[in-house]
Amino acid sequence: MPIKLMAASRRRPGLTRAEYQRYIEFYHGTIARQERLKIRSYVQNHVTDGAFGTLADETHRQVADRDAVVELQFDSFRDMLETLEPATPSAASQDGRFFADERHNVIVMAEEEDVAVAAPLPTFNPGLGIVRGVGALKVLHYIMRADEVYREDYYTLWRDAHDYALQRAPYAREQLRRCVMNRRCQANDNDAAARKHFKMVDPPVYDLVAAHWYDTQEHAGAFRQYEEALRSYPRPFADWSKSFYLYTRQVVIIRDTPGGPA
Amino acid sequence: MNAVIREQAVQLDYRDWQASTRRKADRPALTPEEAARPFAKYYHEDIPAPDPAHLALMDQPCDPQLAIGPERMNDLLAPGELDVEIGWCNLANGAGFIANRMIYPDITPAMVDWWFAWHPLEDLRYRIWYPPQHGGIMVSPEGRRRLLDPLVPMHEKNWGVVHHVTENCNCGMENIDIHFVSPREFGFDMTRWREPHVSTFAGGFGWAVAVDRTDESITAPALMCHIFRRHPRGLEHRTRFWMGYRLSQGRPELTLPPGVAVPAPAVQGLARHNVCEFTRWGQFLPRIYQEFGGRMLC
Repeated sequence: MPIKLMAASRRRPGLTRAEYQRYIEFYHGTIARQERLKIRSYVQNHVTDGAFGTLADETHRQVADRDAVVELQFDSFRDMLETLEPATPSAASQDGRFFADERHNVIVMAEEEDVAVAAPLPTFNPGLGIVRGVGALKVLHYIMRADEVYREDYYTLWRDAHDYALQRAPYAREQLRRCVMNRRCQANDNDAAARKHFKMVDPPVYDLVAAHWYDTQEHAGAFRQYEEALRSYPRPFADWSKSFYLYTRQVVIIRDTPGGPA
Repeated sequence: MNAVIREQAVQLDYRDWQASTRRKADRPALTPEEAARPFAKYYHEDIPAPDPAHLALMDQPCDPQLAIGPERMNDLLAPGELDVEIGWCNLANGAGFIANRMIYPDITPAMVDWWFAWHPLEDLRYRIWYPPQHGGIMVSPEGRRRLLDPLVPMHEKNWGVVHHVTENCNCGMENIDIHFVSPREFGFDMTRWREPHVSTFAGGFGWAVAVDRTDESITAPALMCHIFRRHPRGLEHRTRFWMGYRLSQGRPELTLPPGVAVPAPAVQGLARHNVCEFTRWGQFLPRIYQEFGGRMLC
């Protein structure tokens, strides 16, 4: 069953964002193509903007800086382990230190669940209508579960809050082309080796990363409208001060299925 | 206005429940509120020892060639017996396999459905099942709402509900999140799901981690299957565990790293625990059902 690893990182000291993104696309991405192992697909999401916490916070309560989120998809959990922990360390695993501030990586092992959207195609120029659910703006919404909420209820509440928010955010409802729930797999609890490898100190745990696609980067306001409505959902389920969202531009490094979903 | 009922008053939020499990792991004496519950007397009963010959079948691993993996779970719907009905082993891929069979002369499928829906509502309901090793249980507020919803049939109440149990399966106290699912979601062929091959089912997938977890602790997955069918001597209960597997999008998936096997003491420990707790269950379920069966509130 497909599983994916999502790693949100920020650039190492001394790099500009452009240098970092150039490195991961052209150096790190090339290494991954050369040394594919059992990767099914590999997508980089280059951050263009984003927000951390809420306007009500006096100061940040998290690392408020992310430059990319990479998504590595595998056909099975076993394939993921064999790729990430090969008998001989891969070049990709040793390359991270040249671009990332590795100890602040946030890693989520997740399973995807598509959430239906009202308009997977734009109405003004849908083309042949064959390809649906794509867009040039991909928003990654890392939502921190409130400590008092059970994980199983958290997903139910997010789903309900998502519908609630779209009801109150007509621009988002009209413009949202695709939405995916990335639910953290509990196998992620066993990532002590990864944490040790990256020298990660008490990394935050995100049980959900919601991905939203809009037509263009100019549609960021639609997500903004949605996000405010989501936070107004009356039943508490999230710690918004520890949540964040990233506007990104998707860069495909490896994908063998042209015509498949974005 | 109605007073808050006990079945709701015991609800803890996730943070408080997690904090409480360390204390539950010590199996403390009953609180005054618990001691006053009408079923508290069961906590103080003598616990029957399992049949020594039955327990002895868990002394040594069985032949892995005779065991089945979860991809063959539908073999359980065929008439007759499988090669291993009582035993445990490591499969060739490292997974842990457990089979157990109990026959209960006085238990009905309705009792089974009621028990699995009734007991997660309070710690004490779980503790009276097997006091030596059961520390406590909790469900989420949404799970509790479903269990208490009179519109949900008894045999469906647990579908989608997570039992957060604190339990010792002979390797120390663990917190185990057991995600109960429908037989369809578990992977059974519903075209074959009928009497006399199957009468009822309780199962799902679990993740277990030590109560005293550290940064290095392993959170271990397992599939759990309790399937029941009628038998000339009563109700036959066939248990299967597949340790090291998780359920992913309706299919079992091995999640062990290459070359890693579930430790044999963990497999055997759960196998022995299963024999003990269901020996007790067979002895007290008919009696407690007589008193409280069919309803959720006490």
